[in-house]
Amino acid sequence: MSADLIKPPVEVRFADQLKLLADNDVGKRPQNWKLSPKAVRTFILGGDVDTPQGKVNIPRKFYGNDALVERCIITLAGSRGLMLVGEPGTAKTMLSELLSAACCGVSTNTVQGTAGTTEDMIKYSWNYALLLSKGPCREALVPSPLLIGMKNGIFARFEEITRTPAEIQDSLISVMSDQILNIPELGDEGLVQARRGFNIIGTANTRDKGVNEMSGALKRRFNFETVEPIKDVRLEKEIIVREAEDLAKSGHIDCPIDTDVAELLAITYHELREGKTAEGTIVEKPTAVMSTAEAVSVFYQTISHAWYYGDGRADLGMLTENLMGAVCKENKDDLEKLKAYFRTAVKEKAKKVGGAWKAYSESAALLK
Amino acid sequence: MEGLFGERSIAEITGKDLRLPAYDPKGRLMLFPVRHHSPVCSWQLIRAINEFRPDVILIEGPENANELIPVLTDENTVMPCAVYYFYKDKKKLVNKEPRDYKCYYPFISSSPEYNAMAEGRRLGIETRFMDLPYSEILINTAENKGLRKEQDKHSYTDETRLTRSQFYARLCEKTGIRSFEEFWEKYFEIEGLKLTPEEFCKNMHTYCVLVRSEETAQELACDGTLARERHMAHRISEALDSGKRVIAVTGGLHSAGLAELLEKGDTATVKLHKIPFDMEGCYPMAYSYEAADALHGYASGMSYPYFYDTITAKLKSGADTASVYDEAALELLINTAKETAKRDVSVSIADVTAAKSMMTGLAALRNISQCGIYEVEDGITSSFIKGEKTIAAALPISVMHRLATGDSVGHIGDSRHTPPLIADFQKQCEAFKLKYASVTPHEADVQLFSGEKGPALSRFFHRMEYLGTDFCNMLKGPDLHRSRDRSRVREQWRYRRTPKVDAVLIDHTTDGFTIEEACVNTAARALMDRRRSADAAQTAVDCFLMGVDMTDEQQRLIDAMIAADGDFFSLGEGLGCFARLHELRELYNISDNSSYGHMDSCMGKLMSALPAMANVPSENAEDTVKVIRRMFSLTGGVMAHWRDTLEEELLTLTAARDKQAEVYGAAMGLLYAMDHSRRGETENAMRGYLKGSSEVRKQGAAFLKGLFSTAGDIMLADDSFIRMTDELLTSLSHLDFLEILPSMKLAFGYFTPSEIREIARSAAALHGADDTDITNAEIIDEGLFVYGRKLDEEIALNLKGGSRLG
Repeated sequence: MSADLIKPPVEVRFADQLKLLADNDVGKRPQNWKLSPKAVRTFILGGDVDTPQGKVNIPRKFYGNDALVERCIITLAGSRGLMLVGEPGTAKTMLSELLSAACCGVSTNTVQGTAGTTEDMIKYSWNYALLLSKGPCREALVPSPLLIGMKNGIFARFEEITRTPAEIQDSLISVMSDQILNIPELGDEGLVQARRGFNIIGTANTRDKGVNEMSGALKRRFNFETVEPIKDVRLEKEIIVREAEDLAKSGHIDCPIDTDVAELLAITYHELREGKTAEGTIVEKPTAVMSTAEAVSVFYQTISHAWYYGDGRADLGMLTENLMGAVCKENKDDLEKLKAYFRTAVKEKAKKVGGAWKAYSESAALLK
Repeated sequence: MEGLFGERSIAEITGKDLRLPAYDPKGRLMLFPVRHHSPVCSWQLIRAINEFRPDVILIEGPENANELIPVLTDENTVMPCAVYYFYKDKKKLVNKEPRDYKCYYPFISSSPEYNAMAEGRRLGIETRFMDLPYSEILINTAENKGLRKEQDKHSYTDETRLTRSQFYARLCEKTGIRSFEEFWEKYFEIEGLKLTPEEFCKNMHTYCVLVRSEETAQELACDGTLARERHMAHRISEALDSGKRVIAVTGGLHSAGLAELLEKGDTATVKLHKIPFDMEGCYPMAYSYEAADALHGYASGMSYPYFYDTITAKLKSGADTASVYDEAALELLINTAKETAKRDVSVSIADVTAAKSMMTGLAALRNISQCGIYEVEDGITSSFIKGEKTIAAALPISVMHRLATGDSVGHIGDSRHTPPLIADFQKQCEAFKLKYASVTPHEADVQLFSGEKGPALSRFFHRMEYLGTDFCNMLKGPDLHRSRDRSRVREQWRYRRTPKVDAVLIDHTTDGFTIEEACVNTAARALMDRRRSADAAQTAVDCFLMGVDMTDEQQRLIDAMIAADGDFFSLGEGLGCFARLHELRELYNISDNSSYGHMDSCMGKLMSALPAMANVPSENAEDTVKVIRRMFSLTGGVMAHWRDTLEEELLTLTAARDKQAEVYGAAMGLLYAMDHSRRGETENAMRGYLKGSSEVRKQGAAFLKGLFSTAGDIMLADDSFIRMTDELLTSLSHLDFLEILPSMKLAFGYFTPSEIREIARSAAALHGADDTDITNAEIIDEGLFVYGRKLDEEIALNLKGGSRLG
């Protein structure tokens, strides 16, 4: 069934790995967790699992700071919530999904924070037809992901928390402090106590900083982890290739992945993000988000185009056009910055390295 | 550690037949591998010494420091300390060019080498260093390798190989550990406490043999490792031959090499050179934790030395090895919270509890039996930082790093071995009540002209600054070198004792036994290198600030330099410096009056050179005018006997055929100032510029600038110069006006605000306006003004009956 889904949940996508880990997990587990912290670490960061049939390798899913992942796991086993902050596209959401799936077996118990998020969406609302017919009762209650998390002893994920108005965010405080949610309409039966295993994983985008700043009281109930962009170009290339392969597979695109083009894109994103080329030339940073996720999207668009309209090979002209579409979204100056990057860095690499860089440099004429 | 290597043998991993040195408490020789500043190595070494009970302990270290071992282990000596080695290669044994070399051998309480010495002293065991003398290490090292690398900081105990090997990189990749230090703490420091000395030695040997297997013989020869090991093997062999049982304490990488040499009996050492005693030496010196930290670029030992010293102290006092790290980590966490709270970053008890719980959880997740410093760092990162981790938000982390590194400075207990300059430095610091026992910066306010302590302290700071110790730098105060802020009556200094202070003072030992003597001799040497009178004058200023008298010989040298100097500007600067010294000598309570003689010499030279300055290039005009003004000012006071000569020379200058306008203007101004009857000549000179071509008129602005710089009052006496200035400005085209505008701005910069108002009034009256119209009027658009003027001209033309516009 998952083959038909655009994006199957982590627990479905990696069900076999989770089962294998659970079956062979000898570590101590926090109450209601599906796996021990060590097995969760292996699921996310990869490693070998000893099975009766021998060692089985679990591939790495999150690249970057291993210690950060370890801190996240330990935080979730404790009494504080976990808040993942960072630039857009640094895989905060992916990490929170992986953690939820590995620890609780569910990654979909999620509140999506927006400017329109209300307290009802965080706590509970009512099925008004039942409410009118039967009055306030458990049956008429529509539980929020938070309430589900408390009742079942699983994590509730709160995406983009700082997009939500501060007073709505603060409705989390009492839940996180007392691990209790009171539903006054239900009278004496209205007290919901959180089962062991319940916790909250929040994500917040540092570009939204200041939009709805979290209150100090709420901050105190979270451990913060800053997820940074990947610093290693080689690693970024690997991620682009791997993610594009996965996307191509799920989209039934059966063409080989050109790793040279992926490398070229990884270098472009890395250098524009850092504002400096490998040769030491200073380049202007675009205001657009230059994340690995964006690079994957550009690369996937390029191979999709090649599959449906071309000969199956990634066309560098198309890559440049897609890159322009991704970079020049909000600020018209970004186009000039991209053009300048092609005039200096790409041209220099075309001279020195040649190969794909030459064709990439020639495609600069498409930047309009 | 077992987990790392599993069941695989070294031969399987490296493909080479490498054997580990044996650990035999009953044998005659024990090769004990250590890492510098490692608590576990110290602890296991002490156990091994007590188990083995050797007759002699041989320690890796240049053997010319053997006599310092009792000083380092003296009961009054406080770690961190270092042995400072120097070698002056006058015989060119190291390099084709003679050069001075120096390096440090740092010790903290955790250093196994220090603990070997201390345990030897406690048990009455003979203890010696066994490595080549420092000079021989250099001689046997290839250029830009080992201790001959081109870098500022040289540590004898360079551990680059140990910490940057490919082997370790693979280990980190396999174990998911971030850095060598974290790997080391986990597998050696913490887990090593559970092992017997034999098991620990085996692990150390295994790791070091694997790291060494990556090195080629050529690499080991180039950085002097092989020559050093042959010498160490030679010393070990000597001791064994004399029937003694030996423990040889060396860096882990050397143990395998020594074992191989001893097994083969290949112990012939390199030929030692005869080095004169004044070309090579070593001193004990106080060191700081900050400098001992591997993070500060010495690569000489572990990071966070203070934290590891607390571990060693606990281990030595019999703490439970199963909880010693947990205790130290918790103390560090609490101290970080307290220190962070002092900086207005709130850290609650709940945060500390959460961090502690994080540390414990991480240790369990990482299979470590106790929390180490990296767990403390992770706990703080997770629980103390609220929001995005930025440089500002990461304050608790930097506080933790600072606490774990430590900021105190050691002390050499046996004062007989304290180098004389350091002893003098300490004595003076104590006399002035300066806090010199820590690397933390402090500030001191110095009253320059009241009491006796202030001037003396100022001189002490200036002396330390002059010797290049980096002990202090002046934040505020009069700058006599550049003649700035001279009205200040106090100096504000920031001072901080670092190992560099001691090292530089030791370097100056050959210059004298007190700081004052060292300054006198350093200044004398500096003077010998001078060629320009300006530079000689700057040295005289240094001596003045340091309260150091120059000898008659040095005074004669300065006079000779002035006599030989043909540079007008150098002489001018020299004149300024000597004049300042002469003027301030009473205020600074300096009895020496030699500066007046130098002033006289400079003035004489300047007088004869003055007429030739009539036509200097424009870029030098301002400096020339500055010197002339200085000459005028001095001849109006303390050097009045030169006034007539100055007048004559200025007249000669103004009579020159080609003259630079600004210099000419300044000279005319001074001549007018000397005799007001010359006003007419000055006006004529200006008119000459006004009557000339457009290019000549533009020079009029420079003439005015020079004139106003020396005789601004000529403008105020009557309105003739105002009229001429007006004529000059109105006669220029718009573009020409823009060209001279900077000069005119500078020219009017010589007037006071009230004089500017006076001039504005007169200038406004010429155009039937009020002075406020000029000084306070709204600034109008430049284009509009040009257009208005053009319109005026056109109307005037029309009124006269013609029009260009047609």
